[in-house]
Amino acid sequence: MSDHYAIHPPVGRVDGIDFDVGPSDEDENEASAQEALAPDTKPSGDASAIALRAPAELDRHTRVELLKEERKIAAKYHGGPMWGYVAATWGCYAIWLALFPLTMMDIVPIWVAFPIATFIATAGYIPAHEAMHDNIARPGSKHRWVNEWVGKVATIPIVFPFSLARLMHLQHHYHCNDPQKDPDYPDEAPNAWAAWYKTWWNRQPGVDGSIHTYKRVVTEMGTPEAAKALKDTLLVQLLYMATLFTMAWTGYAIEAALVWWLPRHIALSYVRFYLSWVPHHPREGRTGRYEQTKVFKSRIGHFMSMCMETHAVHHLYPGIPNHRTRHAYQELKPILEKRGVDCSAL
Amino acid sequence: MQVALKKLFAIMPFLFGIGFIAPLIAQTMTVWDWNAPFGMERIVFGLLIGSAWGLYATLRGRWI
Repeated sequence: MSDHYAIHPPVGRVDGIDFDVGPSDEDENEASAQEALAPDTKPSGDASAIALRAPAELDRHTRVELLKEERKIAAKYHGGPMWGYVAATWGCYAIWLALFPLTMMDIVPIWVAFPIATFIATAGYIPAHEAMHDNIARPGSKHRWVNEWVGKVATIPIVFPFSLARLMHLQHHYHCNDPQKDPDYPDEAPNAWAAWYKTWWNRQPGVDGSIHTYKRVVTEMGTPEAAKALKDTLLVQLLYMATLFTMAWTGYAIEAALVWWLPRHIALSYVRFYLSWVPHHPREGRTGRYEQTKVFKSRIGHFMSMCMETHAVHHLYPGIPNHRTRHAYQELKPILEKRGVDCSAL
Repeated sequence: MQVALKKLFAIMPFLFGIGFIAPLIAQTMTVWDWNAPFGMERIVFGLLIGSAWGLYATLRGRWI
């Protein structure tokens, strides 16, 4: 197994809640804060590869106090009911699946089915993303299977096996904005138009884009989980192609194109743009805890940009559910500003 | 098995051209009531375009 891929997130404990505390701050700072938070808290997993940057004007004591305060606030926003994600995922999947026979039998017009399928494929990434961070049910819990099946089901319309999606997304968190180790780094582009173009370009068969980067990273990881993810990817891609070919040659090519093929491509571009490019641009050199993402005001609103305006909160505390990052951000804002985060947009 | 799969994925754009693009072209022409040139069957026209486009994508590594 390659040792430069981290496999466990750092975990903190505040008021009895275990949660992912995101990329580390300065070593000394981290150690002090951990110590201050709880006597039994230890950073787990690999040491962070994150460069250590804190505003020079803050002394060590201030940084530790800010980190403690930050984690106390973050703890309040962890957890909460997640059944909405489960119901939405399984309900939408059932609708999407039903669109195949309904369009093939002309019960639902294809022009109605197409936007519905596109919405489901795109929005499905959000619950899958929660499942990647174990936010629906944590490992070892009674309802853990729900977490896994939300992830597996939600990623079917975009033909992105959950096992691969989770591994790559966690690598993105551990090595955010590292040109070599962040699997999402190929999404970087100089401007929004170039970023949209790149979402398409990176899916071209011979381009060293997203999927090739993912395959390279899982191969280098060399873990049983990585081998499974690779196997799942092959299987899912073959099943997808077999379904498209079968539908097309039995007279349902247009239905296949507008219920699965085109919605998938639109969804992948949308997700790549709003979840990867917008909140992380510009990536170069921004690997520190408080500089991996940017706070921005979306022209199409918080919901339509998939709550990415406050993606900074997600990178600091991936255990905070997507729908709660905005409120968490409002409370964390004074601390983030002190840590040098540009919060002027929101 | 691994070698076979690698070879299969290497020519996937070509297979996609035949397996999906060709019937998609033919069925779209039917819906819009377009005829294929030179008295060809629509599916033959679709296969010509689909296989050529798929072959191009396989060789060049990009669809356009």
